[in-house]
Amino acid sequence: MTHPYVPGFNQATMTDATLVRLVLDGDTAAFTTLVDRHAAACTRFATRMLGNREDAEDATQETFLRAYRSLARYEERQAFRTWLFQILINRCRTAAVRRQRQRRMFLVDDNAISLASVRPAADASDLRAELRRAIDALDPEQREAFLLKHVEQLSYDEMAAATGVGVSALKMRVKRACDRMQRLLREASDVGT
Amino acid sequence: MSEPDSPRWLDEITGELRREVPVRSAWRARLLEEVARAPKPSARDDIDDRFSDWQEISGHPERRRRSITLGPLAGLAAATLFVAIGAGITYTAMSSRAGSHQAQRAATATGPQLVSGAPSPVEREVVRFELSAPRASRVALVGSFNEWNPAATPLSRDPASGKWVVSLRLPPGRHVYAFVVDGDVTTDPAAPRAADDDFGSTNSVVFVSSPRT
Repeated sequence: MTHPYVPGFNQATMTDATLVRLVLDGDTAAFTTLVDRHAAACTRFATRMLGNREDAEDATQETFLRAYRSLARYEERQAFRTWLFQILINRCRTAAVRRQRQRRMFLVDDNAISLASVRPAADASDLRAELRRAIDALDPEQREAFLLKHVEQLSYDEMAAATGVGVSALKMRVKRACDRMQRLLREASDVGT
Repeated sequence: MSEPDSPRWLDEITGELRREVPVRSAWRARLLEEVARAPKPSARDDIDDRFSDWQEISGHPERRRRSITLGPLAGLAAATLFVAIGAGITYTAMSSRAGSHQAQRAATATGPQLVSGAPSPVEREVVRFELSAPRASRVALVGSFNEWNPAATPLSRDPASGKWVVSLRLPPGRHVYAFVVDGDVTTDPAAPRAADDDFGSTNSVVFVSSPRT
């Protein structure tokens, strides 16, 4: 199927791979389409991963800039989203380490969660607060695997490509994350009763 | 909220977590401005590795290509001679031309340490790098001296201290470096930091003195 190419006009129907080819051929407007397709998911992952919007926006911004500069290295056999997330994951890891060094933060542990006076989720905002605390309490590796699997819905093979971690290790991290989330959320709801 | 033990709990929380986080238009505009200012990417294979190296971008070892660079500072003064060794390090070198001697490490020493006072014929000094990273499974040293290749200089655990260590010979001058801890680039917490490069990466600095001083 072919149709006349009009810059910016019919890009909505093009695959990511096609858009990448257009950018490499000189149509930088095609990159805008790629940004608009993927920025929300990247921002969502980075926000959940880093816990604050500002760091997430910086990491996402840096991700797209690096993706743009290295676009020639994208290989079409891999989903563009997976390739992009590979960059984003590394940006988030670096940001987290940098922030840790700057603020000397410690991970919230289970005790801190259970001692907090948390009422059972009566409405959506309570649930969000509980979820945020529970997600933040996960080890970064577990949080990363959990978000990729259950929020961004990557396959384990895609997760392996994006994280550089083997599939079996990823499955273990996801399982442990789920177990821990369950426990933290149960304790949160128990405290209020 | 439903009982956490049932599978529904996962569906509920992932439903909440999958809620879209809206992209701010100001953020989008800023990004597109930066894209417009950036050099156009090309399918040609003459990309400047400092800007587009896959290891720097992805954090993963390069599978196909040659050496990796990680955000080095521009204009390293490789041949310049310095006297100071980092910040906070004091050492007493045993002064002798013959044989090898251990440099004494002062109680307040931080950062990489000179461990050999005797010059080799090529005037390189042995510098010991160490990092405390008890939960890491792999640590590598990357810097101007090994083309920022994380496969070139892995650290190993010192059984006595539990720290990750490596010693290598460096020529006199200023060297910029960082550690890669389980794929993540991090500066040496015990060493002075170099200025940020264009991409916000930070690196650590070690000065190796001329063996004549």
